[in-house]
Amino acid sequence: MKDIARQSMSIKVESMDLLNGQIKMEAHASATYLAMASWCEQNGFFTSAKFFYKQSEEERGHMMKIFEFLIDTGGNPLSPEITGINHDYSSIVDVFESTLEHEVAVTKSIHNIVRKARELGDIATERFLDWFVLEQVEEENTIRDILDMIEVTGTEGVGLQMIDNQVGNWIE
Amino acid sequence: MNVVHQSTYYTLYQSVKERCFYVDFGQKLVRMSLCQLLSLRHKVLSISIEDHFDGDLNKHGFEVLMLCNKEHLFVLNTLEVLDLKHLVAQGFVAMGLSEEREAITV
Repeated sequence: MKDIARQSMSIKVESMDLLNGQIKMEAHASATYLAMASWCEQNGFFTSAKFFYKQSEEERGHMMKIFEFLIDTGGNPLSPEITGINHDYSSIVDVFESTLEHEVAVTKSIHNIVRKARELGDIATERFLDWFVLEQVEEENTIRDILDMIEVTGTEGVGLQMIDNQVGNWIE
Repeated sequence: MNVVHQSTYYTLYQSVKERCFYVDFGQKLVRMSLCQLLSLRHKVLSISIEDHFDGDLNKHGFEVLMLCNKEHLFVLNTLEVLDLKHLVAQGFVAMGLSEEREAITV
């Protein structure tokens, strides 16, 4: 019997389901960073706002990368429904700490898909995610560096203004 | 046509000549591409069967399923939904696209 299914699709459906979950997660991150940009704009952190606009675009780029991979492999990418975006933050420190939490959650999710793909013998998905694994190392490092800078600068006096200005160093 | 998998109410076939699949729903035979079959899988596995046992969430215990870009419409009861979930999950295992041995949720 000819294997029409395999000829039409080159990854496992379990990988496809997990990657669709990741599409949703990246879209959620993109929307969250846009909410953070809004908060920064409204609270006078204009450079940080620029940083989060860029982050938001990057996350959407990640989402599209996965979306296109699913198309290329004959899968069924799903446009995600995004709800429950938080717009309330107590401070700029809270914004960046939430960002790091988000990035760690994304990293864990990607590692989980890599492990599952390896378990399934889905080499294409595993290799595709190599880029994301390294990208997450970079993303987490950026936010950790910003949090270190905040710690060193301090939030007293002109500290907040200095923090906002220095965030510009991480906008490429 | 070759039988890929058969459940209590439904049968999934593969047609090598037409390079497509057919699902026999009993009263209707529906032709599907793999993309349409993936879409059916998503719709069926997304149905919350728990809601069928909650009078507030699913009062009548039925599901309306639209397939192949709204070309076909089916009204399924709880047993039929469970059987279709089984067909889809095991059908993809038989086709070599899934490793799962039990129905999974998406």
